Amino acid sequence: MKIGRLIGVLVILVLLGVLGFGAYALITVRNGGEDQALQPASAGAPASITDTLARGEYLARAADCAACHTVPGGQPYAGGVAFKLPMGTLYSSNITADKETGIGSWSDDDFVRALHAGVNKQGRPLYPAFPYTSYTALSREDILAIKAYLFSLPTVHAPARSNDLSFPYNHRWAISFWNALFLKKQRFVQDQGKSAAWNRGAYLATALGHCSECHTPRNRAFALKTDENLGGAELQGWMAYNITSDKDHGIGAWSDQELTDYLTKGHAAGRGTASGPMGEVIENSLQYLTSEDISALVAYLREVKPQQGGAAVPAMAAAAAPSGSANGTPGLGEQLFVGACAGCHLDNGQGRQTDYASLAGLRSVRDPHATNLTQVILHGSQLRVGAQHVFMPSFGRAYSDAEIAALSNYVVNHFGGQQGALSVDDVAKRR
Amino acid sequence: MIVLSINGQDSQVEVPEDMPLLWVLRDVIGLTGTKFGCGIAQCGACTVHLDGQPVRSCVLPVSGAINKKITTIEGIGATDIGKRMQQAWLGIEVAQCGYCQSGQIMSATALLAQTPQPTDTDIDRAMSGNLCRCGTYVRIRAAIKQAATGQITLPQTIA
Repeated sequence: MKIGRLIGVLVILVLLGVLGFGAYALITVRNGGEDQALQPASAGAPASITDTLARGEYLARAADCAACHTVPGGQPYAGGVAFKLPMGTLYSSNITADKETGIGSWSDDDFVRALHAGVNKQGRPLYPAFPYTSYTALSREDILAIKAYLFSLPTVHAPARSNDLSFPYNHRWAISFWNALFLKKQRFVQDQGKSAAWNRGAYLATALGHCSECHTPRNRAFALKTDENLGGAELQGWMAYNITSDKDHGIGAWSDQELTDYLTKGHAAGRGTASGPMGEVIENSLQYLTSEDISALVAYLREVKPQQGGAAVPAMAAAAAPSGSANGTPGLGEQLFVGACAGCHLDNGQGRQTDYASLAGLRSVRDPHATNLTQVILHGSQLRVGAQHVFMPSFGRAYSDAEIAALSNYVVNHFGGQQGALSVDDVAKRR
Repeated sequence: MIVLSINGQDSQVEVPEDMPLLWVLRDVIGLTGTKFGCGIAQCGACTVHLDGQPVRSCVLPVSGAINKKITTIEGIGATDIGKRMQQAWLGIEVAQCGYCQSGQIMSATALLAQTPQPTDTDIDRAMSGNLCRCGTYVRIRAAIKQAATGQITLPQTIA
């Protein structure tokens, strides 16, 4: 009897706990969190930009709104970009000022709450593919500058495509619970112990640039593992590399100039070339930042706690250039490389006529899984930076899985000094 | 206004900075010896030299050629190696349809400038980015060797 009562009491306590948490989650979901008394002195846009619309444009670029809200080649900010997730497909929304299909009827408070709490005008939770987990740290002033900029652009009548998600992910209210557990509705607070540049870089990298949304591994509930901040993660078939200050696994061995080159031009010789989602970040966002802001980002990245995740790129090996021709009969991979790739990349991997075509030492060719390398081979790559348009055609249709596996393994062995371990099946899965 | 040094002569052109060099050469300046093949640096037909290095002019923005010496098929005969290469080309009559040949000669000349006595492997590697859909590769190889050594390899069509 006693045990029965004890179990009964326990069950009731657990039920009350669940109910209490549920009530807490549902009641607090629309709360954006308190604005701290001390808003960041370093507002996101440079002090030299005083016009509100220009500030809004700078901030919208720094926050890379276009990456998700503009279909490549489509109307700016009209939404409709598809996100293929394990639980189904999400489509981004129209954030032009169209009253019917966009956010034209949203008040300032509605818009601020959307970024701080992750809910729409009606107060219904948005999916965390929208990085409100980062934007929640933005100052109200910056958010309203972005809104003013968006509202100054041409409106586009583009009804939202309905999401195609499986149960239980198609129930938005469930996100209230996720938010209650993982969303910290806190504004960015300056660290007085750090330099002004570091603080500015931190605001740019976290609240605006939301680097961690791709570069930080996630737990089983798809929440960021904050203790492994920027330690590298795989997302939509691409590797978002470890960008911590670790010398072998991260970017600790890169010089300031190399980091600056990469962030502004999408290429750092012997280190990396931005492709895929990171190429979009360079194209839509980072290339527009001022040189002071890029320096601030570098200052911030320098102090990110080192993590060991991802493939190691020993500093010594990165500098080693491969020798010219291998002896004996070339294998399939080498034959393909010489025939299809060396025209632009040259057989020594130094690249013809553009630095962007150099391969030697790059991170992508030092990854034994060749994750990003096969993406680029299969789908090509392109980058518009300033007046430059750098591109590589796709080879996915020209070659079989076996050929692309052989080619990837050759490139990883020859230019990366790693043992390429890609199988035919691996390539098939990445198509 | 952009100033380009082409085959030893300065040309002034009024073009956008991101216009491919090939367009400037063919459509603006009128040097039509350099051919448009694929437009994506995959076939080599548009090869010209930039400071002696073979580049694909179809993907090279003209801004990348400023302050550099551009050499095209029209000017390559003025160099010793280029002249020997063209002679060998005529001697063996390498060309079938001829469309890719200006690019082939530009790549072959750059190869000899860097490697005066190329092996078959050197030739394979240097010429791998130049396609010839007529399949004149055997004669291309022979012509490069003939230009390098001066020794006749295949029957000649001219004295």
